[in-house]
Amino acid sequence: MMLSIPNLVILIVVGLIGVGIYALLTVRNLIKVVIALQIMVKGALLALVLAGRLQGQENLGQSLALTVIVADTIVAVVGLALAVQVRRAFGTLDLKALTTLRR
Amino acid sequence: MAMYWLILTIALPWLGALVVWLAGNRREKLSHTLAVVFSVASGIASLFLIPYGNERAVFFIPIGGVFGDFTFVADGLGVFLAAIANVVGSLAVIFSVDYMHGEAQLGRYYAFVLFFIGGMAGLVLTSNLLLMFFFWEITALCSYALISFHNDDLKAVAGGIKALIITQLGGIGLLAGALLLYVYTGSNDFQLLLENPAVLPVGALGWMAFGCLIAAAAKSAQFPFQTWLPDAMEAPTPISALIHAATMVNAGVYLLARFYPAFAEVPGWREAVMVCGMLSALMAAFMAMVATDLKRVLAYSTISQLGYMVYAVGAGGVFASQFHLLSHSVFKALLFLAAGAVIHSAGTRDMRQMGGLGKFMPLTRAVFVIGGLALAGIPIFNGFWSKELILEAGLHGNPLWLYALMVIVAGLTAFYTVRMISMVFYGEARPGLHIHDAGKAMKVALLPLAIGTLTTWLLAGPFGSLLAESLPAHHLEVESTLAVVEEVITAPATYLALAVVALGWLSGWQRGRLQPLAKILGGFGSAAADSFGFEAVNRAVVNGTQRAAEALRVTQPGLLNWNVFSIVCALLVLLAALAVGGR
Repeated sequence: MMLSIPNLVILIVVGLIGVGIYALLTVRNLIKVVIALQIMVKGALLALVLAGRLQGQENLGQSLALTVIVADTIVAVVGLALAVQVRRAFGTLDLKALTTLRR
Repeated sequence: MAMYWLILTIALPWLGALVVWLAGNRREKLSHTLAVVFSVASGIASLFLIPYGNERAVFFIPIGGVFGDFTFVADGLGVFLAAIANVVGSLAVIFSVDYMHGEAQLGRYYAFVLFFIGGMAGLVLTSNLLLMFFFWEITALCSYALISFHNDDLKAVAGGIKALIITQLGGIGLLAGALLLYVYTGSNDFQLLLENPAVLPVGALGWMAFGCLIAAAAKSAQFPFQTWLPDAMEAPTPISALIHAATMVNAGVYLLARFYPAFAEVPGWREAVMVCGMLSALMAAFMAMVATDLKRVLAYSTISQLGYMVYAVGAGGVFASQFHLLSHSVFKALLFLAAGAVIHSAGTRDMRQMGGLGKFMPLTRAVFVIGGLALAGIPIFNGFWSKELILEAGLHGNPLWLYALMVIVAGLTAFYTVRMISMVFYGEARPGLHIHDAGKAMKVALLPLAIGTLTTWLLAGPFGSLLAESLPAHHLEVESTLAVVEEVITAPATYLALAVVALGWLSGWQRGRLQPLAKILGGFGSAAADSFGFEAVNRAVVNGTQRAAEALRVTQPGLLNWNVFSIVCALLVLLAALAVGGR
C-alpha cells in the first residue's frame, strides 16, 4: 500500500478515534472524559473533510465539519461546566465513586 | 368527521393525563376537576364515534421503515370497545372523586388512569399489530402502576409486580406474532391477514395463533395464568372496576375475537381456546365459592366470566362473546364500584366481618343486587341474554362435554353470587358499625351502570349488525333484538341452563344446610382456596424472573467505561452483521 495523502488521513482518523475510545474505556476522571470525547470528535471531523474531498464535494464536507466544530465546542463547554458542578456537589470527579447503581 | 372523533377518543385522555400530571399533587380539587372533565369529554367523543363504526373510517400516520403506517380503523369491534373503555373510565373517575377523597398524590393517580384510558382506546382501534403491541404494553404498565398505587404497602407492590411479569410473559407471544406477520407479509397491518390467512405459511400461522392465545390468556387472566388477577385486587377499587373488570382484561378476548377468521382453521386452535376458557371458568368459579375477601370473589368471578367469552370465541360465537363482553363490562363495573362503596364505609374487605349492611346503604344494596342478578344470569338482566347466547354457540357442532361443564359453571356462578350478596348485605349486622351510604359522586357513577345492566341487552340487534357490516372477514350472522330474544326463549337449552342456575341459587341461599356436604368436600375447598396449585407455579415464575433480574444487575454498574465497552461491542456486532449480510 502506497502512503498516499488519503491513506495517511485515514490512518490519522483511525488513530484519533482509537485514542478517544481507548481513553473512554480506561479513564476515570470526568475532565479526562471530556478531553477524550474532544479527541474522538476531531477524528470524525477529519473523516468528514476527507469524505467530502474523495466525493468531489469539498464544500459540503467542510461546511459539515464547521457545523460539527460549533456543536462540539458547546458539548465541551457544557461538559466541563457539569464537571465543575459535580466536583462542587460530590467532592470528587472519580466516575467509579459517582455511580449509584452499584450495590 | 369520524376521523376527528377517532383522534379525540385517544388524544383527549392522553392530553388529560399530561395536564393532570403537570397540575401536580398539591391541589386536590383541581386534580379531581381536571380528571373528570377530560375523562367525560373523551367518553362523549367515543360515543359519537359509534355511529361511524360501519364506515370503517381510517386515520393513519405514516412512520415508514419497519413500523409501517400507524393505522387506526374505526370498525364495529374497535369503536364499541373504545366506548366501553372511555365511558366506564369516565364513570370510574367520577367515582374516584369520592373514593380517593383526601388521598395524597392524586396527580399520579389520575395521570395513570387517563393514560390507561387512551392506551386502551388505541389498542382496540389500531390495525397495526406492532402498534397494538405498544398499546398492549402501555395498558400493562398503567395496570402495574395503579395496582401498586399505595406504594408503601408491600402487598400492593408485590401484586403489581406479579401482574406486570405475568402479562409481560404473554406479551412475548404477541410480539412474536407481530414479528412473524412482518417477516412474511412485509407490513404490520393485519387486515390483509384477516381477509386471506393464506398470506402466512401454515406453520407460521400456527405459531402466531398459539402465540396470540398465550398473550390473550395472560392478559385476560385465563388458565394457567389466572392467579395475578386476585392479587391485583390491592389496587384502589375504581381501578379494579375499570382495568381489572371492564377493560384491560377484555383485551385478551378482543385479540382472540379480532383474529378469529385468521386462526379458526389452525388445527387444534379452536379446541385449545375452548378448553382454556372452560378450565378458567370452572376453576375460578370453585375459587369464588370459598373466597372470603369481597374483592377477590369479584376477581374470581371476572376470570370465570372471561372464561365464558374465551370459550365462546373458540366455539365460533364471536358475536356472543363480544356481547357478553359488553354485558360483563357494565355489570361487573357496577359490582366493583358498589363493592368499593361498601369497602369505603365498612373499612374492611372481609365478608365475614360484614353482614346486614343492606339496612344502612339501601341504594348500594339495590344496585349490587341488580349487578349480582346479571352475573348469575337471571332473565331480563343483560348477563342472562349474553350468557345464553354463548351456551347456544357452544351447542353448534362443539364437544358436548365442554357445553355441559359450562352449564354447571352457570350454576356455580349463581351459588357464589347469592353467597356473596347474603354475606354482605343480609343477616345480622355486627354491633358498633358506623356505616353511611355511598356519596354523591359515587351515586352518579353507579346509577348509569345500573340502568345499563337492565337495558344493554336491547342493543343486541344494532350491535350485531354494526359488527357484521364492519367486519366482513368474520362472516357474522345478524339478527334483530327481537329475533335474538325469540331464539333464546324458544331454545330448550335455555331452560336447562335456567334450571341449573336456579339450583345453584337455591343451594346458595340454603348453604347452611349443605354444611355436611361441605365437610366431605373440605379438601377440595382448600385446594380451590389455594388456586389448585397454580398459585405456586405463577409465584415460581415471578420469583425466577426477579432472581434473574437481580443476577443481571452486575451488567449495569452505571460505570461510563463499562457502557462505552458495551457500545463498542454492539458496534462491532453490527459491523459484522452488515459485512456478512451486505453481500
